[in-house]
Amino acid sequence: MMALAETGFDLVLCAMIATTALLAIGVRDQFGAVVLFVVYSVFLGLGWLRLGALDIALAEVALGAGLTGLLLFGAHARLPASVPVPSGRAVWPAACAAGGSGLALGWAFLTLPEPVGLQEAVAANLGTSGVENPVTAVLLNFRSWDTLIESIVLLAALIGVWSVARDDAWGGQPGLRQHARHGGVLANFGRLLPPIGFMIGVYLFWAGSSKPGGAFQAGTVLAAVALVVFMGGAMRPPLVTARWLRLVCVAGPAVFLAVGLTGAASGVFLGLRPDLAKPLILAIEAVLTFSIAASLALSVIGPPEDPEDHV
Amino acid sequence: MTSWLISLAVLLLLSLGGALWRVWRGPEPADRMIAAQLIGTGGVGIVLLLAAATDWSMIDVALVLALLAAVAAVAFAKAQSADSVGDPEEE
Repeated sequence: MMALAETGFDLVLCAMIATTALLAIGVRDQFGAVVLFVVYSVFLGLGWLRLGALDIALAEVALGAGLTGLLLFGAHARLPASVPVPSGRAVWPAACAAGGSGLALGWAFLTLPEPVGLQEAVAANLGTSGVENPVTAVLLNFRSWDTLIESIVLLAALIGVWSVARDDAWGGQPGLRQHARHGGVLANFGRLLPPIGFMIGVYLFWAGSSKPGGAFQAGTVLAAVALVVFMGGAMRPPLVTARWLRLVCVAGPAVFLAVGLTGAASGVFLGLRPDLAKPLILAIEAVLTFSIAASLALSVIGPPEDPEDHV
Repeated sequence: MTSWLISLAVLLLLSLGGALWRVWRGPEPADRMIAAQLIGTGGVGIVLLLAAATDWSMIDVALVLALLAAVAAVAFAKAQSADSVGDPEEE
């Protein structure tokens, strides 16, 4: 009975995911496509849960349904109301190419040898990693190289966003000047939501050492909180030239790199001594959480655009 | 008990099919957005049912989903204002 119910759930969920993906591609309305993308992320998050990948489910709902949704809503608001839909001629070759590569990928997946996986190796060494969550152990100890590079990629993205600012607007506050009716729903929401979101973000960071969570999920939630504060008009974002802001953005990768170099001095780059691993991982994650939050929020809000914002 | 919880989750998931139809049909942006919010809320319910049936640590996902669905509503309100950085209530 249990297995039957679970199979039924998985089948319905798969159908919903595939339907939402098709609708998101097929819908003619630009705003509809954005909303369907957000809905798609919600269903995909459920899919990750069913696969037992709680960390990825968290990242999916936080990044997909949350921050990317924010980004796409903002993009939609700035695009012209109607974007011409390409005519039918190019559609069929594109559909064939996409369908062909999809089939090839499916064939490659089915013919792959059964993966052995690294779960056993990770489980055997979890004791020396300093944390109890195997995903955090991999991300910040066994394969911290990837995480270090990812955190630097976020910085590079922010520099890319800032580099498209106009010369006369540079040095001001990022994004356009946000405003809301004083005492209105939006302004009040912008004051009600941040304390709750801040608490959830800090909780996710702390939970990351023993259960699903961690710097990236926590940073994403904190970035969303910062964006709500700005969008509700409760606070203006800091000037892009503010030194403390740049320090916050750089601190995470810098601390990460410093710990890695200390490890290099004693033999292994990014190697953590087992007895110090827990405090080191927590220190890296704590600083990294705020760097990720700042870089993501600033990337979403965009480059400075208002030449009159200079102070 | 567990199979009951999962069956309820299936029922909830099927009901979201109706919301999905509304997201697709619209016609107004607000129709689509409210339906998407319904899917967010339904998603929270499904996560909670799955958590009760399989693994309680899943409730963190429900927490994040609930928070970020609210954030999406703020972004929607912003996008509906005249200059896209204001507040629909200002007009």
